[in-house]
This record gives sequence, C-alpha cells and structure tokens, in this order.
Amino acid sequence: MAGYPTLRRPRAQGQLISLVPMIDVMLILLVFFMVTSTYLDLDMIPAVRQRDATSGASDATAGTVLIRLASDGVPVVRGVAQTDGALAAFLAAELAETPLTQVLILPSGAATTQSLISVMDTATRAGATRLRVIRLEARP
Amino acid sequence: MKLNRIRRNPHSETIIALIDVVFFLLVFFMLIGRMDATAPFDVTPPLAVSGRDMPAGGATLSISRDGALALDGTEIAGSDLEAALSRALDRDANLRLRINAHKDAELRHVLPLVGMAEAIGIADVVLVVTPAAGPDAG
Repeated sequence: MAGYPTLRRPRAQGQLISLVPMIDVMLILLVFFMVTSTYLDLDMIPAVRQRDATSGASDATAGTVLIRLASDGVPVVRGVAQTDGALAAFLAAELAETPLTQVLILPSGAATTQSLISVMDTATRAGATRLRVIRLEARP
Repeated sequence: MKLNRIRRNPHSETIIALIDVVFFLLVFFMLIGRMDATAPFDVTPPLAVSGRDMPAGGATLSISRDGALALDGTEIAGSDLEAALSRALDRDANLRLRINAHKDAELRHVLPLVGMAEAIGIADVVLVVTPAAGPDAG
C-alpha cells in the first residue's frame, strides 16, 4: 500500500539582488535633499489682479482717504504724521462710517518697501477692502 | 590544529527597517524642499501680518536693497527685464509674477516694475512677504 505523497515546501531562494547599492543611493539622495532644502515660510500680497481693471470706476457714495507715505516711512494723513496706532484708529473710524471707503496710498520713491507693506497691513487690519497704491509718474 | 573561521550569518540583522526609515525621510525632504532659484544677492522680504499663502509657480523677480534685479535667480539688467517678461508671458499667458523685494529697497526701484508688469499684460503680480505675528497674536 502506497503511502501519502510527501509535499515538500520549496526552499526559499536566497537574495538575488543585493540591497546595499540601493541603500547607498538612497542615503546619498537623503543627504542631498537634507542639505539643499530651504525652509522659507513666505506669504504674498496681491499687487495687480485682473479684476482691478474693471473696478477702476470709483463709487460716488464712498469716500476716499489718501495716505501719503513720506520718505522716512511715516504715514501722513491730511497733513498730519501718524503713528501706526493713530492711523489704525483713524481708518477704523472712517471705515465704520463708510465701509466702502477707498484707501489710497501715495508713497515717496525714497520710502522703503517695508514701510509701504506696514501701512498696507494697518489698512487691511482696520478693515479696508478697497486699497490702492498710486504713484506719480514723470512725463516729458 | 585546524581553526575554522566562524561563518558569519550575512543577514543576522534585518535591514528592511532601515530602508523604510531612510525612504520615508527621503520622501519627506523631497516633498517639503523648495526648488526655487535663489537670487544671487541677499533678499530679505518685508514682514507682513495680512499676507496670504503663496501659491507655487510663476516667475520670481528679486530686487536687492540697492535695486539690482534678478529674474528666476539670474541677474538681469533693468533694460532687459521688459523683453524677458514679455517672452515669459508669451510662453504662459497666465503668468504669475512674484516680486521679492528686499525690505529696505526703496520704492522707486519696486513700484515702476509693478507698473511695467501691468502694462505688458501680466495680470497676476504679487509681493512676497514674510509672515509676522500680529500684535494681538498670543
């Protein structure tokens, strides 16, 4: 009487491809990306938008506030130099009365970019939604 | 007397875990790293509280403290900028121009470039800023 056939599990084959070169390449890539990566946290403020062209006509019912930015970076409203807090309070009062007040900023060419951004920040935090930067252009 | 060398088991310690960790680290650094071209001069963007998240893509115009210009990491003369931007606009009609001006750059170096970009038809111009905590931030 024949016995049951014996089933043998096939022996697992050894490693066909060495993993060492792959690990080497991965480590080199890892070091490369660790060294070359930059971790800049940057934001943006829109300067020109397509829809700005269509919103050029001013609303007759809304007022306009002109902020002149002096060359030393001090904002001047109606001839009076303003601190950041005073400017924020002034704009908040204006915008509470007329929410669609247009805020125009006329910066001096010698003012720094930081001073312009700070004034734009102040106006935005005060609630201004219609904010424009204007500049005088020399014509021959 | 014959000394037999002890046979070393070639896979006594599994290296699969090491490969997993290295691979995850590799993917992590590949994903979070930014491959933007950096300007050939120092540019520190101004601080702003009201900035928004900056989307990727577009051309980057860097402006140094003294008004030197670099387009996508390559220094460029002001007289050549308009032609270079026009060519970029021809390649991509929805070109976004990121103006990365040094915080101490005078506006006479910055604002005319915004006007020029608008004049040649670039509809999306943004100023690059560094996010700052507001005065009411904890």
